[in-house]
Amino acid sequence: MRDACDIVIIGAGHNGLTLGSYLARSGLDVIVCERRHEEGGGLCTEELTLPGFLHNVHANYHTFVDMAPPVADLDVRAHGVEYVRPEVQMASVFEDGTALVVHDDLDKTCASIARFDEEDAETFRRLHREAHGFIDLVLGTLMYEPPMAVKELTKALASFGVEKRSEFLSVKLRVETIDQFLAQHFRNPKVKAHLAFHGAVCGYTNDVKGLAIGFPLLAGKIDNWHLCVGGSHRLAHALWRDLAQHGGVMVSDAEVSRVLVDGGRAVGVRLADGTEITAAKAVVSTVSVEQTFLEFMDGQAVPEPFREKVRTEVRHKDWTLFSVHLAMDRFPEYEAAAFDPDVDRAWVVNLGYGSPQELDADWAAIRAGRLPDPRPNAAVNSLYDPTDAPEGCATGLLRQFAPFALAEGGAGAWDGVGPYYGRKCVEAWRRFAPNLTDDAFLDRAVFTPLDIARKLPNMVRGDWMMGEISLDNMLDQRPLPELGHYRTPVERLYMGGSTQHPHGFITFGPAYNALSVIAEDLGLEHWWRKV
Amino acid sequence: MPDIYTPDWYDAVVKAINGRVEQLKDVPAGAWTCRIEIAGDGSSPYVSAGGQRHFLVRIENGQCTWYREVDPEDDGTELDYRFQGPATIFDEIAAGVLDPIDAALHGTVKVRGDMRFMLRQAELVKTLLEAYADGVETTWPEGAPPYEGAAHA
Repeated sequence: MRDACDIVIIGAGHNGLTLGSYLARSGLDVIVCERRHEEGGGLCTEELTLPGFLHNVHANYHTFVDMAPPVADLDVRAHGVEYVRPEVQMASVFEDGTALVVHDDLDKTCASIARFDEEDAETFRRLHREAHGFIDLVLGTLMYEPPMAVKELTKALASFGVEKRSEFLSVKLRVETIDQFLAQHFRNPKVKAHLAFHGAVCGYTNDVKGLAIGFPLLAGKIDNWHLCVGGSHRLAHALWRDLAQHGGVMVSDAEVSRVLVDGGRAVGVRLADGTEITAAKAVVSTVSVEQTFLEFMDGQAVPEPFREKVRTEVRHKDWTLFSVHLAMDRFPEYEAAAFDPDVDRAWVVNLGYGSPQELDADWAAIRAGRLPDPRPNAAVNSLYDPTDAPEGCATGLLRQFAPFALAEGGAGAWDGVGPYYGRKCVEAWRRFAPNLTDDAFLDRAVFTPLDIARKLPNMVRGDWMMGEISLDNMLDQRPLPELGHYRTPVERLYMGGSTQHPHGFITFGPAYNALSVIAEDLGLEHWWRKV
Repeated sequence: MPDIYTPDWYDAVVKAINGRVEQLKDVPAGAWTCRIEIAGDGSSPYVSAGGQRHFLVRIENGQCTWYREVDPEDDGTELDYRFQGPATIFDEIAAGVLDPIDAALHGTVKVRGDMRFMLRQAELVKTLLEAYADGVETTWPEGAPPYEGAAHA
């Protein structure tokens, strides 16, 4: 292994690989160190159940395809990535046998909503159209640029008179919950439930004050969900190929134990096996703030008061995900298909939340460490990617909102509770799709919140967004004001992972924005900026 | 009163912009080159259907130093911003029929470039756009917008 380079990147998740690739394309000598045996981080696809069944252990939904600049800049499709945008994107099935279905076609989606409330359907059409109009501007401003302060944004919105020009954007959204936004604009509880559910799947909890500000954007991309054919890991592999083709190196089984600091400046890393790699220009961490500043450095390398802030002020999501991965010999047939046959072709289905209040009740239980009666969401990737299961079979994924630490027994209790709760989740699915009898499941594997933290320790407490999603942990305040612009208190040490603005999910945003800052500091040409 | 998209009209737009910018208190230092790309949409008589008319605008310290039409094939200039949209929309903006901020907000005019700067300099941007939209009394020899039967993009 080489022991010197220009840039060392810690973590080969999609952000680490993306950043590495851009920097390698800029002519820098890049080494990406990965603790696990393979690249990808959350882009992890494994045969968790039976041979031939490909399960996305973590990242399953790609919602920024063709919105995120790196998809084109790094030629991920040329490196073998194939995305499918399912024509029936998502659905909610309700206890009364009805179903609301979101298609890739706005007219069809509105027709489905109109079966519940015609006025809501027209409101949704206007919201979707308005959001689509400003989505380029918002993404360009908010997602793929180093962050502005909320105050600056508010001032600009006022100067341009956006509130007068928009039905849905308003300064007051920054003090409102998604529930409040939905109550103001929509009438039917099931319509509101589906929209709130969509927000939750995107990490935006519907009862948290201030998150209404992000909701119009979420509505604008409600039908832009893509799956990665052959499993999400294909994207990681493509990014690795791009890195390698441009001279970068990804080293697996290379757990970083230390960031080397000399005279207040990051100069390299030490691996767990004692190997040292020097970095002439910079070190970039894409793992957690806690790992970076509490595990990889001591009080001599980074000021102790800052380490104390990391200990006490870095916030994580107050809920996480419990998953059941399933090998199945059939596809679900929902009772609600009698109401709307398209529900059987929906990629992702919300099983039973019929109002925002039902979601709110579960958030309250989860925050108290209790397990809600399962109302998981069910994804069947095989509907749109037949390569992920043997012929005639299907790969299923149930995801249930859940606490990390259980009131009884803490996080450690998950090892005992997981199999039982997994069965309950499957039973919840069967209530809506009775053909999923026990013999439909050839095998199953539960993946608990504790498993997330074990497999991907950068997701502290199973926090799959790598930081709380709240207004005061967004933009330049995320994850701490001192780190909000990707620089750190240690010279030439940068943060470039999902701890940073915008947040987790496969956005590529943290890496893309950290790249701008690093390029500025190192005097690199911004070849990727295409005006 | 100059005809739309003629050299006299460009000069009048420049004067209108500079006159309004002079009244601003805080104008940012720096220079920006913007490209405006107008696509013929079959409704505007000033850009042939399927054709393109492109303009470069140079802003230095808030003042417009020049404004000229360029060959659509010649995209070699280093740009800070690019504005793209159908001719009917740009004609309506120049005629003061359509609000340019509405057009950008609703995506009928696509804007590329550093949005943070545009947001931070909202007053200047608004002044430039307003001068473009209503700062010149324009004549429309082939007819003025709104055009009958034109569908907004």
